[in-house]
Amino acid sequence: MDSSRAPRGLMVELITPLKKGGIDGPGLEKLLARVVPHAQGLLLAGPRHGEGEHMEMALRHELLKKTIDVLASRPLPLLMWVSGHTEAQTRENILSLQKHFGEDRPKGGLFWVDSPLTYHSNRGLPDYYRELLATISIPLVLHNDPEVVHTTRTFKRRNIRTAVLKDLVQNEGIAGLIFSGSLERAHHYQRACRSRQHFRLYDGDEKRFLEHPSMGGVVSVGANLAPGAWNIITQSSIQLHAHQENYPDRLQQIWESGDYLKNMVGLYGPSPAALIKEILSDMGIIRSPDMLQPVEIDHDAIEALKSLMRDF
Amino acid sequence: MLIEQAKEVLQIEAQSILGLMDQIGPTFKEAVAVILKARGRVILTGMGKSGLVARKISATLNSTGTKSFFLHPAEAIHGDIGMATPDDVVLAISNSGHTVEINKILPILKQMNVKIISFTGGLDSPMAHHSDLVIDVGVEREACPLGLAPTASTTAALAMGDALAVVLLKSRHFSKKDFRRFHPGGSLGERLSFKVRDVMVTDNHVPKVYLGTGIPPALNEINDKKMGATLVLDRDQKLAGLISDGDLRRALTRGDDIYRKKVEDIMTATPKTIDENATSAEAIALMELNAITHLVIVDVHEKVIGMVHLHDLLGREGFKINGQ
Repeated sequence: MDSSRAPRGLMVELITPLKKGGIDGPGLEKLLARVVPHAQGLLLAGPRHGEGEHMEMALRHELLKKTIDVLASRPLPLLMWVSGHTEAQTRENILSLQKHFGEDRPKGGLFWVDSPLTYHSNRGLPDYYRELLATISIPLVLHNDPEVVHTTRTFKRRNIRTAVLKDLVQNEGIAGLIFSGSLERAHHYQRACRSRQHFRLYDGDEKRFLEHPSMGGVVSVGANLAPGAWNIITQSSIQLHAHQENYPDRLQQIWESGDYLKNMVGLYGPSPAALIKEILSDMGIIRSPDMLQPVEIDHDAIEALKSLMRDF
Repeated sequence: MLIEQAKEVLQIEAQSILGLMDQIGPTFKEAVAVILKARGRVILTGMGKSGLVARKISATLNSTGTKSFFLHPAEAIHGDIGMATPDDVVLAISNSGHTVEINKILPILKQMNVKIISFTGGLDSPMAHHSDLVIDVGVEREACPLGLAPTASTTAALAMGDALAVVLLKSRHFSKKDFRRFHPGGSLGERLSFKVRDVMVTDNHVPKVYLGTGIPPALNEINDKKMGATLVLDRDQKLAGLISDGDLRRALTRGDDIYRKKVEDIMTATPKTIDENATSAEAIALMELNAITHLVIVDVHEKVIGMVHLHDLLGREGFKINGQ
């Protein structure tokens, strides 16, 4: 088992540039050129904003392949969402991706991201991962987001139980956790993860990170639009490099960048990916704002976002 | 809303301290051993808010029996590093471990054979690599948005400093008396600033007998006045000597039949005296220098006007003014 450490800092949850029947390659290249200089890692096919929930495996393959090709000269850790609707499907997804990318994995590092509660209950989760990780060679990052879990009679909980997480953390094949949820739960999870020194806890909630930053970093979809500002705030919040230049208006710049991002997060509304795609498409970065599952667009929000970006 | 926000901050900071409980381990124990073994001082260093934390930890160490001082990393580069000796231990504080000024001085200190302990969350940082011992004070979350100011991380470093100081205090068997000694700013400080005339016993409270008196009356006087000694005066009320518990003990050890002796046979003929205008601090210093616990206060004519015991200066059963 490869127990590489998961990266720390700004993980951009990449929106997926689409064209009819596949990935918009040139759009992806332009988008990567925009975000990569500011990121410490990329989350591909994220379940919320990367449209991973609606993505066929062939499309995930294509996305990962094209991203690796573009990043050949600029190694950056990649986090790839791999969950399926069932245990078997998830295992199949992982093995299928591993077959293609396991041997010739990206230089910056590769991590599979899994949202277990979308297909598995808390019961027996540590055993499930022990068994799964015995067969795979790429470390996992867990994803806990109650918003993407649809509870059923079988799966009653939307969050990984703290006691279960404590057990999971003992598995060296699990390198980190992307967390969304209440601050209280975040504290419980922190305590559960303390026994592993380099276990990464990322804030999956941008707003939370802007208020009380997790030292592991943040998974941000807004960074597709404002990668520079997100980079400044992440660096400042988690002291990624202490060689921060102390120029006279540094604090003012941080305040302004922070305000800008808070306003931006407030304007996304319920469908950030759709809005961000509209704007990136307008900017000529991606070919079209197409989504795998069409959503209703709030045009006022798009105008407000554009205006905010112009003013900044 | 405001209260909720404040509670969130407190919760995050509390969690940062609780987190240290899981992080503390054998390295902490080693750090305590290194400091206890050191013949020199503990030199605290840190920049910005970590520097303020370092200053506070230094003050706490000084108050609890571990000699310490704060060395500003920027001043150290410009010569103050000469204050360090190989007998000292450096305790460097930086959450990231990347603080440039600290990382400039640590290699020099290392060359000087100074032991380096660091408090940092950056376990792979340059500061950690320069250190002999690294104590993890990393936190999972900061309470302050945008990294405008370190909050939970400085709280954690401060708490770890307190833990270190208290463990050192206990390891050194630091006593209440020692604590008082290091706290001249407190009530003891107030006492030490008093003049001897303010705390000495006077008039009938002064135990005294006259030359030619037998030992039994002298013993009664010692017992009655509860000063552990009695003065011996001549007929002009001038000081002739002092009999303390120690004088009696020595006489008995020699095999003297003290019931047949006069006070002048066993007294200390030249007891130490002090001016009534001297401070309590001066009186204590004189007692320490001569390994005694009593001083006699005489006027310009050598006439006795009072007596003071060490306990009157330090406060026995509550602080007394003129024995009252």
